[in-house]
Parts: sequence; C-alpha cells; structure tokens
Amino acid sequence: MEGTNNEEETYIALRESGFSPEYVHVKQLENGTRKIKEFSLIFIPGGFSAGDYVRAGAIFSARLRKSSIGDFEEFSDLGKPIIGACNGFQVLAEMGMLPDADGKKSVDMTVSINESARFECRYIYLKVDANNPLMAGFQGRDIPWVAPVAHSEGRVIFSSDSLYEKMKKNGQVIFTYVDPEGKPGEYPWNPNGSRFSIAGISNRKGNVIGLMPHPERIYFPKLGIPAPGGDTFGNIFFRSLYEYTISSTEMSVSGVRSRVS
Amino acid sequence: MMADRKFRVKSVRLREADERRLISLSKRYSLSLNIEEMRRLQEYFKGIGREPTDVELQAMAQAWSEHCSYKSSKIYLKKYLGNLRTDYTILAMEDDAGVVEFDSDHAYVIKMESHNHPSAVEPYGGAATGVGGVIRDVLCMGAKPVALMDSLFFGKPDFEAGDRLSTRFLMRGIVGGIRDYGNRVGIPNVSGSVDFHESYNSNPLVNAGCLGIAKRSDIRRSFVTKPGTLLLLVGGRTGRDGIHGVTFASRSIKAGDKENARSVQLGNPIIKEPLIHAILEANDRGLILGMKDLGGGGLSSAVGEFCLGGGLGGEIDLTGVKLKEERMEPWEIWISESQERMLLGIDEKDLSALVSITDAWDVESSVIGRVVEGNNLKIEFEGKTVLDLDLNFMTSGPLYARHFLVPENVPRDLVLPREMKRYDDLILELAGSPAGCSRQRIVRQYDYTVMGSTYKAPLTGLPNIETHSDSAIVMPVSGSNKGICITSGSLPAHCAVDPYRGTLLALSEGFRNILCSGGDPHSLVDSLNFGDPEDPMVMGQFIESVRAIGDFCRKLGIPVVAGNVSFYNRSGGNNIAPTPTILIAGIINDAGNAIPNHFMEHGSIVVLAGRQTPGLCGSMLLDHVKKGCSSHPDVDLDELQKLRAAMLEAAENKLILSAHDVTQGGIVMSAMEMSLGRSVGVDIDLTDISSSRSLVKMFSESGNCILLEVREELLERLKSTFRDVQLTTIGRTGGKRIKFTDLSLLLADVDIEEARNRWDHGLDDLV
Repeated sequence: MEGTNNEEETYIALRESGFSPEYVHVKQLENGTRKIKEFSLIFIPGGFSAGDYVRAGAIFSARLRKSSIGDFEEFSDLGKPIIGACNGFQVLAEMGMLPDADGKKSVDMTVSINESARFECRYIYLKVDANNPLMAGFQGRDIPWVAPVAHSEGRVIFSSDSLYEKMKKNGQVIFTYVDPEGKPGEYPWNPNGSRFSIAGISNRKGNVIGLMPHPERIYFPKLGIPAPGGDTFGNIFFRSLYEYTISSTEMSVSGVRSRVS
Repeated sequence: MMADRKFRVKSVRLREADERRLISLSKRYSLSLNIEEMRRLQEYFKGIGREPTDVELQAMAQAWSEHCSYKSSKIYLKKYLGNLRTDYTILAMEDDAGVVEFDSDHAYVIKMESHNHPSAVEPYGGAATGVGGVIRDVLCMGAKPVALMDSLFFGKPDFEAGDRLSTRFLMRGIVGGIRDYGNRVGIPNVSGSVDFHESYNSNPLVNAGCLGIAKRSDIRRSFVTKPGTLLLLVGGRTGRDGIHGVTFASRSIKAGDKENARSVQLGNPIIKEPLIHAILEANDRGLILGMKDLGGGGLSSAVGEFCLGGGLGGEIDLTGVKLKEERMEPWEIWISESQERMLLGIDEKDLSALVSITDAWDVESSVIGRVVEGNNLKIEFEGKTVLDLDLNFMTSGPLYARHFLVPENVPRDLVLPREMKRYDDLILELAGSPAGCSRQRIVRQYDYTVMGSTYKAPLTGLPNIETHSDSAIVMPVSGSNKGICITSGSLPAHCAVDPYRGTLLALSEGFRNILCSGGDPHSLVDSLNFGDPEDPMVMGQFIESVRAIGDFCRKLGIPVVAGNVSFYNRSGGNNIAPTPTILIAGIINDAGNAIPNHFMEHGSIVVLAGRQTPGLCGSMLLDHVKKGCSSHPDVDLDELQKLRAAMLEAAENKLILSAHDVTQGGIVMSAMEMSLGRSVGVDIDLTDISSSRSLVKMFSESGNCILLEVREELLERLKSTFRDVQLTTIGRTGGKRIKFTDLSLLLADVDIEEARNRWDHGLDDLV
C-alpha cells in the first residue's frame, strides 16, 4: 500500500531464490480481484505504510484485518509461510498473527519506539534458531550474521515476561541481536532496546515469522560485510524459505508463487 | 469552485505609475523586482496598450526572479562552464537534471539543488521539500530515483542569539526533515557532508541531491514539440503553501522572516511514493511525451518553460485545477509551489490509459490545457482571460554583468600556532569537535540500506565501529556488477580565503573521494551558494569559483551536467562564505574492485601518494586554535591527473588494501579515521614527507594527497604503478594505538577506543 517501499528488493530476493513473485496491492484484496490463497507464501515488506503517522503498521493491519483476516488465518492454518519484515512485522503483530503463544489470536505484544527515541539505520549481528523448519538453511551455522536494521519503532515488548518464557519453550524466538562474540548485547548491538534482545519471532507453529532486520537488503553481498563461504544472512534466509515452501506445499504449474504487497 | 462568488479579473494600474508607486507595487505584491525591472514591465504594458492583470504581474515576477532566470550568474556560467561535455554526456545543463550514459542500455540522471531560504525560516519543512524537489527533478527525466545525498552547512555549533534561530534548532529541524521525507519515500540517502562556519549563523545551507537510473529509451525531455499535446497536472493538490518561494529566495533574509514560513511548501512523502510508481509505469508504457516537475514558481515556471522549450505556446484553464482549499485566486493557483506535482504532456488518445494508471495508484490528475502553435500563453479562469502574454517576453528577463571585485589575498596572522611537545590532547579534541567528529549521529537517522542496492554505505567498516566512506557505491541495475560512486561536499573555510584555489581543492577532494572507492570520476554537478550578488566582493567570489570549476573540468575531462545557483545567502548583515558544493559521480565497472576506506590488516605498509603542499590555510587546526591565515596554496591538476591513472590501475590489479583522501584535518584525521573502521592501529613517521614543521605535516589540508594501505609484498608493484606521482612510505598498521613520529620524536600516541569515544559522540548534544 502507499508508503510500503521495500517491495522491489523483496521481489528481487524472492525471484533470485527461486520463487515467482507477484506484487499485490492491499486494494486488490479489498476489492476481491486477488485472493491470498492463490499463493504459496506471503511476504509483507517494510516501509512506512500510510506514513506510519499513527502507530507503525496500524493502518495497514487494520485494512488487512478488515478485508481478509479469515483468509490469512486459513493460510496460516494450512502451514503456509507468512513473513513480515520491519513494517511487515509490525503489521503481523497488530493483526494478532504474532506472537500467538497461547493459541489466542490476541494482541499480546507491541513493536514500540526505539529506546534511543530515534530512527536508527545500522548493521547489526544476529543469531538464528535453525530449529524452525523455515530457517533450516542456518543449521550448522550458529554464528553471528550481519544484517541491516532501519526503523524507529522496533522495540519488541510483551504483555508479560512469562509470555517470553512460554515462547522460548515453544521455540518461537528465532532471531536474537548479539554482539560480535555471539552473546546477547546491549545498545548498540541491540539497536532498539528490545526485551530479551529479540529481533524476530514466529507463531507457535513456526510458519508465521516477523523480524525487524531486513534480509532482502542483504541478499547480495556488501563491501566490508563478512560473508562466510560467500553466503549472507539474506540469501540463506530466502533460500531456506524456498526449500521449505517447495517441500511442504503443492506446487502450482508456474512454480511457487509468493505475494508481496 | 464556489458558485456563490462571481470571479472578477483584477487589473493593476501600472502604466501611469511613478517611481515610488512602482517600488511600492513590487513590495505590495511581493514581486522582489527592482526599479529597473519594474520600469521594463511598465514599458511593455504601455507598448501593448493595457494594464496587466494581477496574474500577469505575478507570473512576470516568477520568470524574472534570480531563482528562475539566473540573471546574475548566466553570463559566467556560460563563459566558464559552456561546452563542458564528453562523448558520454546525453544532456548537460539543459533540462531539470543531467543525463549521462551508464551502459549501453541505461543512463543515470543526476541533480543537486539548494533549498537554503526555506530551510532558514522553516528548517523541517524546508529541508524535506528540498529533498522532494530534487527527487522530482530526476523523476521528470523519466528516471527511477535510486539514491539521495545532502550537503549541509551550519553556523557555529553554539550559536544562539535573541530573535535568530540557533544552530541546534536549525540542525534538528533540517536533519529531521531530510530523514522523515527520504526514509518515507524509500530512497537510500548515501552521501553528503556537514560543515560548520560562523558565516552560516542563522543562514544554513541545504543542498539536496538525487541520482536516478533509466533505460535510455525512457528518457523524457522537459518540453514537447507537438502542438495539441494535452497538459496534465498529476499528483498532490494545489494550495496556498509555497507562495512566493522563488521571489523570497531572490533576496537576503531579514529579521522577522519567520513570517515567510508561508512561502515554504509542505511536503507529503506518502503522496510522492505512489506518484513515483504511477509516473514510471506510465512512462514505461510510452504514454508520456514530456514532463516537468513543479518546483520554484509552480505552474507559472513549469508551463512557460514546457511550452517555450518546444518553440510553442499554450492555452491553460485554471478552473479545473484540484485545490487544497477553496476560494484560491487564480494568481495563487498559478504560482503556488505546492509539492508532489508533475506536469505531463500526453497525446489526447492516451488520456484514459494514463488516468487508469494514476487511479490505480490513488493519484489525482487533471487536464489543465494544451500546447498550441505560436508563442503566446493564454490563461483562463472561470471563463475569463487572466493572462495573455508573449512567452518570449516573459522569459526575456534581464541579464546582469554586475560589478565585481576579485578579492586579493591579504596576508594576516602569519604566525603559525606554536609547536607542541605532544599532540595527544589536541588530536582527541579535534576528534570530538563538531568539525572533526563522526557524522554517524546524523547519517544513522537516514535510511541508507533501503532498496538493497547500497554496495558501499556512507559509514563503512565492521558493524557499529564504522568510519566515514569517501564515497558511497550504489548498484543501480539489478544483475549488473557495475556501480556508481557518489560524493558531495565543499570546503567553505578554504573558499573563504581564496575562492579560486579553495574551489579547486574542493573539486580535488571530491575527485579523490571517487578514486578512493576504486571508481573513475565521470560527471559533476555544482550547487553554487553565495551571498548578495549586488555586493561586488560576492560577485567576484562567484566568478572566481565558477572559473575554477571550468578550469578543473576542462583539464580533467569531466562534464558539468547540472547545477544550480543560490544567491542572497546573507543574514544579519553578513554574506556566507563562498560555498560551491561539488557533487561527483564516478563509475566502477566491477564493484569487486571497490576499495575500503579503513585499514584492513595488521602489519601492512602505509604510503602517502601525492605531494603535500605545506600550508595550514583553511585548515581545521587553524579554526580550532582560532587563527586566521594568509594566501592559499595552488592545486596541482597535472598531479591529480596522474594520480587518477595510477589509482585506477592499482584498483584494477587489487594492489591496494584501503585508501583515504587527506583533506579536512590533514594526515592526522585521515589516519585516525582509517584506524577506526576495523580497530587497526597505525604507526606513522612523518620524517620523509617534507622538511616542513611537524605541525604543518600533521595538519596541512593542501595538495592532492591520498593515504594508501598496501601489503608489504606488493609495495614494489605499487611503486611502479605510481611512478609518475610522489609516493612516500610513512608507516605500518597494527596494534590498537594511533602513533605519529617526526625526526625520531614521538608526537602523539592515542588509544583507538579513546579516539572513537570522542569521535562517535561529537554531535550528540546537537542533533
């Protein structure tokens, strides 16, 4: 929708990793010209939907909720991946699709204003829990990966700390900000003051994933950013999604289709 | 339009006016025209035998403003910068932005523009719309905007005085405006500069640049040549914001100019973002014959130039223009500078196809008229003619060859600062000073990774310990390894001493910034900010600076493809220091050959390429110890030419681990910055550089110097590559300290982390 602005690099990353991506505008879901069930994966890219003048993602999520919350839930129940990066993460949280720790589709977390109270654009280190089947490509590569963040509202706060414990037990805490040695760190290693250094989470089932860092921006290597074995956080992320998607969903004739809105 | 009010054409009694009335008319209608210009208008209307309408008067003031007509600068721009083209230049200084060949299929489009006056009265909105305006300049050539850059100039950091805006307030507003606009539109901000100088106290400069990429066949001109072409206004609505922006920008800022906040436009990036999509989609489908952005002067400037550019006239009806507020007068509609608007020329048969694209993106559009044979412009409003003028007369503004004085170098304060035993404290002070410290506090507020195509960011090194990049690299064509290097900046302290040599040094710095990323300088854009051109000293500074750009570009074969001039940067009775902002784009054929700007390895050799010119003139050091200076050293362009060849050969053969230019802060600050990016220390011996005093060798900013890091086993090959340039081995990397020695005397020994602590936080209290 208007203000979403990470769709092109997301499109390219999806295409390069094997998907046949298509752009879908929220208007098309509203007027029924497109349905999300046509696709095998949904990616809600970042940006400043509607300008983020209210709360980040609030208007985008309200429009999605009104037009197609049932479709999203059905899509998720089928085990198909729904991914939200940055503003897309905020949208999934606002929709109640995340964290989903109790099986209740309630809004139990917010992605709040950074502790520094400023927009922060920087590269950070993060660790990935490769037990999530969508992130299987990170197996055996338990090192700090470098990825960019760029947001002013990225601080994950839960309604209670016990919720975090529950999520941890459920294996829902997938991405954690760390220092160069791989230990959870303080600012600036944790760029926004997220509780428990959380950079990204999944739902209980593991197929709905939201994260603040931008895998799509580091699909291709960047000067001076370590790329062990020529790999970046971004290309493992998207290749993993592709492997998961082709192995777990029916393939349409045209290949795996994903949606970018 | 409201039906309850009948519109009446207002004419202004001009023909019989005496001198006093002419001046008061100019004031009352905010025309910013002087008495000669008012007389010329009077003569014209006497000649055609009628009084002008208010719309006509306002339209003339737009067309004849300094901002639109370049009346004080045109002669010199033509004299020194005319004919600076190369065979790869597609459009230079013709339309709204420069167009240059990128590869066989693509062209890049580049532009920088000042937005100084608006930013001085309403920093947040002024800076934001500066970004918005330059994006449209690139978009209207048919190109997709892919990178932003901005050079900012502020007064002394602690400046605060009664009714004038403090540096802190201006900085927060300006950085916030650029941040909120650029980030929301989703174009990475990759390059720029921040300088402080007392002449910018309450008169900050905001120079915003934009780079775009297009298929060569998608490039559109800012005019059409086919009579009958429909004129379509697309994008945001027209309101009362930004009225008299250009006439305001064509005079000096006075106390109480806060009221001119009305002349600052309001930006809305969330209209801009879909507008960009809609325009690019329509252009991709071949529906657009020509387009032009609405910036200074609004419809008045855009329509006039759009018609005249193709040797045609126009017929306009303002009745259908979509408005933000009711009851706007036609003259307000005609000159409003409301943002996010584009003027498209399209074939009538394509109208419905075009409207369906704009509708799909929720972008409004309205037909406002058409291009016609002849050279007359006629405007109607609610069925009545409100303007009927010859376009040739409208654009035949006065040209001035104003009085000028070339400033002579008056030697003063010849006494150099005292040598010190140790420089540790001074280095740490400079590292933490607003002039010398990291720009990360600002840069990190800008999104520089969006689009995923920033190969080399403005901050470079390992995460969270990055140092400054000499130039950023963006990869504008997906799937291609070819990149564009970008740098922009100026050296006001040097230009204040000697506008000619200072400008040459600023050019040399930009040029070296490209070389230090492994790129080859390819094209140049200048944004020329000066004081009051009616002051002969200022006019002299301007001419000297433009002459320097001409000499430099001719010598090095670089085309000047776009630019702008901003005069009347004067506040509190003081003119600003001459500030030619230099934006250079370079080409790197294979980003795999890009060079980092920080030390990469322990135990490698550090060499200085280029001959250091002794002299502290314009240096950060002299400013820090509050000393003036005398004449400015020459800049050796022959040496720079040789340096270019050697750097390119070295980059291609991967002989260099890292490189960084030596300018602001001298060798000391350059070496320190190189140490920071990966926390690799360095031990430098200044002995062999020259026989100058240690202080001079450490802090001189003159000459075409570059610091290079090279593996010991490649040193001989490097020497042979740089055989035509002076190359001095001066040190070795390693450890965690930054050390300087001269003639066996240890001059400084600073811990990297201590330096970083100062350097990282120098702007924390300001922005």
